This record gives sequence, C-alpha cells and structure tokens, in this order.
Amino acid sequence: MKKRLFNTFFNELNKTPPYNERSNESEIQLKEQDISTQYEQNLTTFKSIFSYPQNTDIKVREFTIRSLNRRGFIIFISTMVDSKSIQETIVEKLIENQVPSGNISDIISYPMERTAANIGEITEYICGGVTALFIDGDSQCYIFETTEVRGRGIEKTDNEIIVKGAKESFNERVADNIGLLRKKIKNENLIVESKVISKRSRNDVFLVYEKDLVNNELLQKIKERLDSIDSDKILDLSILEQHLEERPRSLFPTILYTERPDRAASYIEEGHIILLMSNSPSCLIMPATFWSLIHSPEDHYLRTPYGNFIRILRFAALFVAVFTSSLYIAITNYHVGMIPPDLLMAIAGTRERVPFPSIIEILMMEMAFELIREAGLRVPSPIGPTIGIVGALILGQAAVQANIISPIVIIVIALSGLSSFIISDISMNFAIRLARFLFILVAGFLGIYGATAFFMAALFYLVSLKSFGVPYFAPMTPHSISSKDLIVRHVPFKERFRPGYLKPKDLVRQRKG
Amino acid sequence: MSQQSGKLGIREYVSIAILMVGMKPTGDLPTALYSMVQGAGWMIPLISAGIFFIPLFLLVKTMMLYQNQNLFSIIQKLLGKYIGSIVCLIIFIISSSIISIDTRTYTNIIRTFYFTTTPNVIIYSILMLVCAYGAKKGIQHIGSAAYLVVYYAVLSLTIALILSFQDSNIQGIFPFWGPGKLEILKSASKNLYIFLDFFLFAMLIPYFQSTKDFRKGTWVAYICVCIQISAAVLVFISLFDTSLSGIGYPFHIEIRYISLGSYLPNVEIFFFVIWIMGAFIRFTAFLYINVQMFCHIFKIKDYEYLIPALATLYLLIGSISETPFDVSLIIKPIITNIVGPSFTLISIILWLTAWLKGEFKHANNKEMV
Repeated sequence: MKKRLFNTFFNELNKTPPYNERSNESEIQLKEQDISTQYEQNLTTFKSIFSYPQNTDIKVREFTIRSLNRRGFIIFISTMVDSKSIQETIVEKLIENQVPSGNISDIISYPMERTAANIGEITEYICGGVTALFIDGDSQCYIFETTEVRGRGIEKTDNEIIVKGAKESFNERVADNIGLLRKKIKNENLIVESKVISKRSRNDVFLVYEKDLVNNELLQKIKERLDSIDSDKILDLSILEQHLEERPRSLFPTILYTERPDRAASYIEEGHIILLMSNSPSCLIMPATFWSLIHSPEDHYLRTPYGNFIRILRFAALFVAVFTSSLYIAITNYHVGMIPPDLLMAIAGTRERVPFPSIIEILMMEMAFELIREAGLRVPSPIGPTIGIVGALILGQAAVQANIISPIVIIVIALSGLSSFIISDISMNFAIRLARFLFILVAGFLGIYGATAFFMAALFYLVSLKSFGVPYFAPMTPHSISSKDLIVRHVPFKERFRPGYLKPKDLVRQRKG
Repeated sequence: MSQQSGKLGIREYVSIAILMVGMKPTGDLPTALYSMVQGAGWMIPLISAGIFFIPLFLLVKTMMLYQNQNLFSIIQKLLGKYIGSIVCLIIFIISSSIISIDTRTYTNIIRTFYFTTTPNVIIYSILMLVCAYGAKKGIQHIGSAAYLVVYYAVLSLTIALILSFQDSNIQGIFPFWGPGKLEILKSASKNLYIFLDFFLFAMLIPYFQSTKDFRKGTWVAYICVCIQISAAVLVFISLFDTSLSGIGYPFHIEIRYISLGSYLPNVEIFFFVIWIMGAFIRFTAFLYINVQMFCHIFKIKDYEYLIPALATLYLLIGSISETPFDVSLIIKPIITNIVGPSFTLISIILWLTAWLKGEFKHANNKEMV
C-alpha cells in the first residue's frame, strides 16, 4: 500500500516526456501481404524494404533463366552468406542450364530448398543470411539456406581456468555451442528448442535440456519468463540473464553463467535447463544454488581428496575474503584484548605514525586494490604485468614508507584480495567483494557485534533467495535428496542421486549394486 | 513446486529448538540454579525435563488429534470461544514478557562484557531490528538460517566447555544432593520454564510438512536440549564451584577465562560471535511465534506489518527496568514462577477436556473406519 502511494507520487514527478513517433503502419501492412506474381513489383518491393542500393551489402542480381525463358532475381546479404556457393550452385546453374524443365529443384544443386510467400517472412529469412530467388510469374519465392556467419573458432577457456579436464569453451557461434553439447551428451532426449525473444533485432535463444529428466513445471516457468520479456533487443546472454532474474537488484546472483561446455553438460545431466544464444560465448544454467556458484568443475575432475582439499580451501577463502578486513577493524578498534600482547605492541608501533583511523586505512587500501584489479583488466596486455608490479610496489611499499598506512594493513588487504580471486564465478566474485565493503562499514560502526548482526541479517536474506523456485541453500536447507555434493563431495560412484530440489523425472542416477 | 510452499522441515525445527532452549545455559540460568540448590544444579534440568515430560506428552497427544491446527485454535476449540480467548491472551502476555526480559538480559550481557561504552538502547535496537527482519522472512527461512548456524553453535559451546576442563574440579558437584532431595524436587518444579518454548512451538504446527514431524522433532530436540543444558551447568559448577552464585553470566566469564594455548590468551570473541548468532535466531523465532499468537487472537491476516510494531513494543517493555540487577533478580523470578505451573495446567486441562469430550475415542473410531 505504502509502495503504491510512493509510486503515484513519483509518477506525478517524472512523467514520460511526450514524443512524436513516426508511424510505420504502412511497412507493417506491407509485410503482412504475400508477394505478387509480377516480377517488377517484387523487385521494387524488396529493393525498398532493404533500402537498396543505399544498403551496401544487400546484393540483388537479375538474370534470365534460360531453360524457363523467364526473368528472375536473387537477393541476399553478402556479409552473411557463402557467396561462392551461391555463385556456383545457384546462379551458374540457372543461367547455364539449357534443358527445358519446369522444376527449379531440378536445376539448382544447392540443397535445403524451401518456398515462402509472405513478404514479412521472406524479409526475416533474408536478414538471417538466406538467399531468396524470385521468378517472374511464380507466386512463391525460393529460399536457400546459404547462411555463413563469421566468427572465431573453438578456443581455450579464458575465465574459468582449470588444470585437469577439458579445455574447450563456448564461442560466439551458437551452432558450434550446440555441437559441443551434443558431442558430450549423445542422447536423442537432448532437446534444443529455439525461441525468438526480442521484437526488433529478433534475437533467438536456445533452450537445451533432457526431455526425460527435466521437470516440466520448471521448464514451463522458464518458458513463461522468456515469453514475458518485452524488449526491442537483447543482444547478449548476460543481458538476458538480468531480464530473467527474479531479483535483478540483489547483490547475489541466482543464475549460473559459464563458458565451459563440460560444465553445462554436467548440469544438463542433472536435470537443469541451459540457455544458449547466438553471439554469446557462454551459457546460462538455471536454476542455480549457492553451492553451484561456489563450486568449480575441477572439484570433480580431481581425485576425491584433492578435490575436497581445494573445495575446503575455497570455502575458507570465501570467509577470509569477506571477513578479514572487517575483523581487523573490529579487533583493533573494539576488542584489542584479543590480540596477543607482543603482536599488539608491534601493530601499535607501526600504527604510531599513521595519522588515519584504521577504517580509513582499510578503505583506502581496499579501493586501491580494486583499482589495481580493474586497471589490470583494462590495460592492453603488453603493459599489464608492468601495471601490476607498479601498483603493488608503489601502493604497498611507498604508502608504508610515507606513513599513510601501516604494514599490517597490506597483509590484511593482500590476504582478502587474494582470497577473493579463488571464487571463479564472476557474479559471486562481485557479490563477495561488495559484501566485504559493507562488512567493513558495519564493523567500523559497531565492531564484532555490528558485523555479526549484519551477517545474520544477510543470512536471513540469503536463505530467502530463490532461483526459479529453488531455495538458495538447497539441498542443505531445506533438505531434499541429493548426492550431498555441498561442502565436501563423495567419491563419484557414491553420488547416486540427481538433486531432488529440481524434481527431475528420474531421480536416481545409478542404482545400488 | 511443493517446496515453494515453504514448510518447516524436521531438521530446521530441531535446530530452532536447540538454539532456543539449548542456549539458555549461556545466560543467567546456571547462576539461578546454583543459588537454589548449589552443587546439585546440574540435576535440575534433567528432573525438570522429567516433570515437564508429562504435560508436554499430553499436549503433543492432544495436538496430534487435530492435523495442521495451531495451539491457539485448539485451545479455542476445546475451551470455547471466551475462556479459550482469555487463556490465549494469558499465554501471549506471559510469552511477551519473557521475550522482553530475555532480550533485555542478552543486551545486558553484550553491554557488560563486550561493549561497555555503547548505550544500551543501540545494542538493544540492533538486536530487535535484526530479529524483526528475520521474523518478516517467515518461519521456514528462520529454520534454514537456524540449521546453517546450529552446528557451529553447538560445536563452539562444546569446545568452550571442553577447554575449561583443565581448570575445573569435578568435586564441585558435592554434596551430591545439595540442600536435600525434596528441595531439589521443589526447585525442579519451579524451573519448568526452561522448557516452556516447547509448549510455544505448538503454535508452529500449521507450518510443518506433517504433524508427525512436530512430534518426532519435539522429542529429538527435547532429549538433546536437556542433556546439553545439564552438561553445561555441570561444567560451570565444576569450574566455578561456590563462586558461581556470585557470577551473573557464567558462560561469558568462562569464555574470558579459557585460552587456546599460551599464544592466544583471549578467544572470547570467537565464542561471542557464534553465541550472538544463536541469540539472534532464538529471538527471531520467539518474536515470530509471538506475532503468530497476536495475529491469532486478534484475527489479523497480514502478520508482516505487525512485526516491527511488536518488536518495538518489546524493546520498550524491555527497557523499562533500570539495571540488569532488576531484570535478573527481581522481575525474572516472578515470571518464571508463574510460567511453569500455568503452562503445565493448561496442557493438562486441554488434554482432560479433549478426553472428556471423547475426542480421542472419536479419533480412534475414525482410524478404524
């Protein structure tokens, strides 16, 4: 109720400014029509739709088909097609064929022929890199899928680096990505469903799941969410991610974003749903829990003790990254008695000549660390290492010598900064880094009590988070059947269940025996 | 999906129960017990649990008659509209005063031991703020948070108790029967309030996946908790011996006393963090139960808007008394002496009414059919 009151108030304050939109009704009407049998009319229609010749990569080629003795033209976008095969298998055949024949498919050797009559539909096809052939007197147009999109090949993963295990990563060509998944799951139940989600640029997403595993309600929910998106353009999967999330303003992510096909495949096998999109070198895994965001594929590739070792290390790093700085502030400001006397003397000695309170010191160094980190990402790679060294040297050594900060602060910041790198998921990483600042502030305000109070509030918030109906800490709490792959994992043959919170159609991965 | 309906699982319930009841020896309970029966203080929780077992058993039995109905609706059903409402109101007032006193006690502890210069009202309002936020999230999320915390809470309590072994003296428990067997029995019946939370948990029944979970969880938690409390009191008695009667909050003295080797002499902050986490959960769940009671009595549907109001009210009530001394030694005994007998009485009356009305036979017949 209160919210509504505020909203009306704000709506009064900022109204959307009036603007005159140019009506495109005539174009919409044109697109609803079918093509005519008149050659000239079709030619002018499509030339005007594609603004030929102003639009330079639109190619229209007119010719006479000898065997039919009729005029015809093809239209395509030269940057999206395989021009050589158009020349060899379509144009040359049409021009050179002498044998009288009424059937186009007999003349042209290019496979995958289809016909269409609706102008709007044909326009969409052409935009997708298809070649359209119009023949004088025909009420249908012939469609050839000559699409050839340029992009890079399959490369190594850049962001989720592991030592043991597959190295290939998704790229911008969605056909390659689907192929990478199919290569790993050779099963006819693997469904790749496509869906157009935006109106203007007509971006399509691909839902990938296993038909005999996935929970239908979950699938339906995700499809509904996709359908409810009302946007002109969604160019990238990472933007789609924000459209899909239940709480887009939340600090914590609820969708897993990965560039590793092996990871995606293992989630599909558990009954999750994957979203792929052309032009995005990654995939979205839904639903995601806190555990899936913390885990790394390498936990499973390594032998059980080693995998558990790095996993425990990662959990320790998580706590170190979030709490070290705030703990330092809390202890030095409020609970000095905790530090052993010798160490306390040492800290006090080094802090003696520093004019700032310790919270300012910590905030300064945290900011500096974030600056180095961000700058290190953006600088051109040849000077990257130099910046790192300069940053570390100048900000560390010189700041201490200049009495701006005390040496122990550098240790604290280095520890928490280093630990924050261990969380490989980029969204979780940001969440942790931002949470750290909040903890620093509350610890500065009320010491360990403030930090704990804030932590409890955060815990209440986190357990109430849901990703497509799945609680954030499932299956630990609320409990459901799973292979208990949470903080530590079992040996692979003991992991007998798919996660129960997904309600997969087939819960048991392998029977006992 | 059925998980979305947000039901309280048995693990979550047991965690809440352990945190709500099992953390009581970290307050002023051991001191109160010691001043009553000296060395036999550790027996009191066990004997009280034995005595309270009867009303609790009857209560659970009565509750099992009606599926998915909370305590208040059953009270109103069995005792009639008017008497039922009055009984509900009495329970609500008692539990409200307990939450006010207990939150104040915890605020006092934090102020006395850790934040001596911070004003009471700030510590208190932060405590209530976090509890109100948690309570607003609903019982299933309180349960989840409790489950995430409970292992560390019990572990840290255990470690704290174990670390004090080297300086404790088990002979502190002698004379074994303290002031006498009859005296122990009397004090045990006075201390039934230790387990009163179990009585209040019956308010949560509609949130369980099934009423059977409530029965099972109650007994599991009941056993865990009475062992935990008794063990904690035993350790405090053997560590402090006679001086225990003069120590307000023995757990906090104890964690100041212990050390991890010679290099880390003061480790109280570690234990404080986990203790306060348990305390937050405890009061969040308590606040939630109270809000549910209030909603039931006054027929309010949207409980979320009520939480901040009630939290503020408890804060104000809790702030009335001037000193910690007033709270622990004057007001608290009055409440605790009322609570045990009255709740026992209510449970027995409920069961008797159900029995006289023939509800049990009725239920049996239903099962037969």
